[in-house]
Amino acid sequence: MALAAAAPVRVGAQTKTAPVKGGALTWGVETEPNTLNPHLNGQAKAKLILRNAYETLLARTPDGGYVPWLAKDYAISEDGRTYTFTLRDDVTFHDGEKLDAAAVALNFAKLKEPTYSGSISAGHVSHVTEAIAVDARTLVLRLSRVYAPFLDGAAGIEILSPKSFASAQLKAGGPEIAGTGPFRIERYVKGQEIRFVRNPAYNWAPANAGHQGPAYLDNVTYRFLPEAAVRTGALSSGQVDVIEGISGNDAGLFKDNPEFTYQSALNTGTPYTLYLNVAQGPSEDVRVRQAVLAAVDVERVIRSVYRGERQRAWGILTPADTDFYDRSIEGSYGFDPKRANQLLDEAGWNSRDAEGFRTKNGKRLTIEIVQSQATLRDQRDILLQAVQAQARQNAGLDLVLRYVDAGTYTTRQNDGQYGIIPNSTTTQENGVTIYFHYLPRDKGGSINYSRTEAPEISAWLDEAASTLDAKKRFEIYGRLQRFTLLEQAYGLPLYVPDDQIAASARVKGVGFRPFKRLPENAYDIWLQS
Amino acid sequence: MDSQNTSAISSAPTFFASHRLRRNGLAAQIAGRIGSGMLVLWAAVTLSFVSLQLAPGDIVSLLIGEQLRTPEVEAAIRAEWGLDEPLLSQYLSYLTRILHGDFGRSYILQTEVSQLVLSQILPTLKLTTAALFVAIIFGLVSAVLTAGRRIPRGIAGALELTLVSTPSFWLGILLLYLFSFTLKLFPVSGDRSFSALVLPALALGLPLGAVVGQVLRQGLERALEEPFALTVRSWGTSGLVLRLRHGLRHAALPAVTLTGWLVGSLLSGAVITESVFGRPGLGRVTVEAVLGHDLPVVLAVAILSAFVYVTLSTLVDVLYLWLDPRLRSDSPEAAR
Repeated sequence: MALAAAAPVRVGAQTKTAPVKGGALTWGVETEPNTLNPHLNGQAKAKLILRNAYETLLARTPDGGYVPWLAKDYAISEDGRTYTFTLRDDVTFHDGEKLDAAAVALNFAKLKEPTYSGSISAGHVSHVTEAIAVDARTLVLRLSRVYAPFLDGAAGIEILSPKSFASAQLKAGGPEIAGTGPFRIERYVKGQEIRFVRNPAYNWAPANAGHQGPAYLDNVTYRFLPEAAVRTGALSSGQVDVIEGISGNDAGLFKDNPEFTYQSALNTGTPYTLYLNVAQGPSEDVRVRQAVLAAVDVERVIRSVYRGERQRAWGILTPADTDFYDRSIEGSYGFDPKRANQLLDEAGWNSRDAEGFRTKNGKRLTIEIVQSQATLRDQRDILLQAVQAQARQNAGLDLVLRYVDAGTYTTRQNDGQYGIIPNSTTTQENGVTIYFHYLPRDKGGSINYSRTEAPEISAWLDEAASTLDAKKRFEIYGRLQRFTLLEQAYGLPLYVPDDQIAASARVKGVGFRPFKRLPENAYDIWLQS
Repeated sequence: MDSQNTSAISSAPTFFASHRLRRNGLAAQIAGRIGSGMLVLWAAVTLSFVSLQLAPGDIVSLLIGEQLRTPEVEAAIRAEWGLDEPLLSQYLSYLTRILHGDFGRSYILQTEVSQLVLSQILPTLKLTTAALFVAIIFGLVSAVLTAGRRIPRGIAGALELTLVSTPSFWLGILLLYLFSFTLKLFPVSGDRSFSALVLPALALGLPLGAVVGQVLRQGLERALEEPFALTVRSWGTSGLVLRLRHGLRHAALPAVTLTGWLVGSLLSGAVITESVFGRPGLGRVTVEAVLGHDLPVVLAVAILSAFVYVTLSTLVDVLYLWLDPRLRSDSPEAAR
């Protein structure tokens, strides 16, 4: 609770002058949405754009609580299997339809169809057996079994107007796919920009928004600028008003510069972590895995690669996950070259070859790092090189770096042909990401990079999923964290990815979402004249 | 080749006969061209289809990504995209559909491919046309003004070498930094106005113009050493007129041969230029499609590029005939 009070509130709430209505804003963004349909779009970086037009049942508070949005209230039955949402009665979609329980029920029904939502239908909504509109305002969702992360998932599903599902634009998204947001899509030019105009009828902002009523801006344009240097130049020359995604080297241009504001926020989800394959190669041996964790001075590597602009990670979740991050893990393991060498000696890797690498029976201690080019951002190549150098220098470990295309990556991941896969996730919260990472691959562990099938983990995760007691879940995930990192060394967390926003000083009210810490939409933004 | 030989041999003494034969020869030549063009198109489709099948990673896995994978989801995806059929029938049904103008739907962007390509072709066309102008004008000016003159030649040569060896990503950023971020003369991004086209066209066109300039200059210098140059000079013609009216035509032949290369470079260079300048266009769409294994888009772009290539190389052949009378099948030189 004390933590929630100390968390930064929106910038707009702190400014003293009254907000000005009107004006147009241009925001340079890194990522262009694959599809504008929020149901089908899985890109965390596209959310800041889509949230202008599409809204969800509940909003989140910094401490992980829920506040009313399209739903005024919600209740969970005692057996934990029936969720009742009471909807607002004054909400209309951009296409003029009224929001009612039948419309929301239709959204859930559609999401359950694999032909509509592909693999998304296997997620949260797969637990829903029935979605019933009891009356115009009351929606009841029945689950097959107790599933703890459900509220977070259901409260975060964007509600589309019923007519949208009949539109030819449904899968690609676009102006015909109507939401309820403070802006509606006006024009989308693929490869260039997407433009939103204010929804004048808007009067249903979440209770914790910076203001109520329609948005301040007349319109907002998101321009797609994939190159970081170009975004920086466009902002500093006044061609755009806001940018996101600022490289560590460029941050200094906007920090402590009165003409600009600069802010960053740690991502929720998992840190950028080297996951060690327990099913193949030298990393099958727990002593080798522990030696990898002890051989790298993570603190120093992160500081020197990112010039102090990124935070070192310790746990299976990032500190931004205020629900389940157990910070007792911090400092409980770490750089210890003596221990690393001792462990490797014990594991039988006690001879060295001409280049100084450890060997056993004439075979070099080589672990292959398979990094997908698609997630190779944020100077991660330099980071990996630094880790590689440390492992070699401190323990005679040979880490080989392979940067692969999407196809090779999927194949390697499915076949388990790798020593280490480094990755981070940002979108799955409320502990769901833990399930994806640590359940066996055929039981829902779609990104179980370490390939662990430890029965105790599955048992714990089962226990946590079937209780709604948040404290108990916290304890279970804490136990899992100690088991996976301290005992089994399944992964080496490196740093916490974050989002950065820089804006011209006249732009007010720009900031991050209170809970998921992704950049917020343009609802509270206004321009000082 | 064949049709050219026959028409050359048959070029007959009487004017009418020669005229008729030439027409037949030309028609046969064009028909042959179209036929071989279709063959190239078919080969392009087949090769792209095969290479995408050979590339690592199956399409279903890529479509599912790191989401949950259940047998039902997998079956639904296979059925939706027709991936449950054998490869050969996928290939054949694809060929049938493109004959009807249906290029299918993009896996990743979830939109009709023909619509996607049509919406992206205009910005790319604008960019490549503008860049082609830049390249030709730069090449012409640099060659005509400096050919055979030692010091200007050295300066132009050094400039061209620098341009050719600068990566277009770098040149783009440099131009942006100078003319957009610092001098604020041109906007950074998009396909919104003519001024937004200037910098991308320069970034894409200048390195190509440098190559054209080098080739043109060499040709021009060779032409100026020919005996006819001395004759023209003896008429009292000024140097510039000699270069423009007489020398350039000789120099143009090797430069025109470059056209094929030029078109290829324009299309591939557009990829980087479009992404640096935040412009819409086919280049960016193609790269993302290749990386994402988006088969329908990759195939459509391959067909389109093959089409452009075939059309242009036909035009170039016609241009040759116009530039060099010796190649015309009815001319006395050719009938020798």
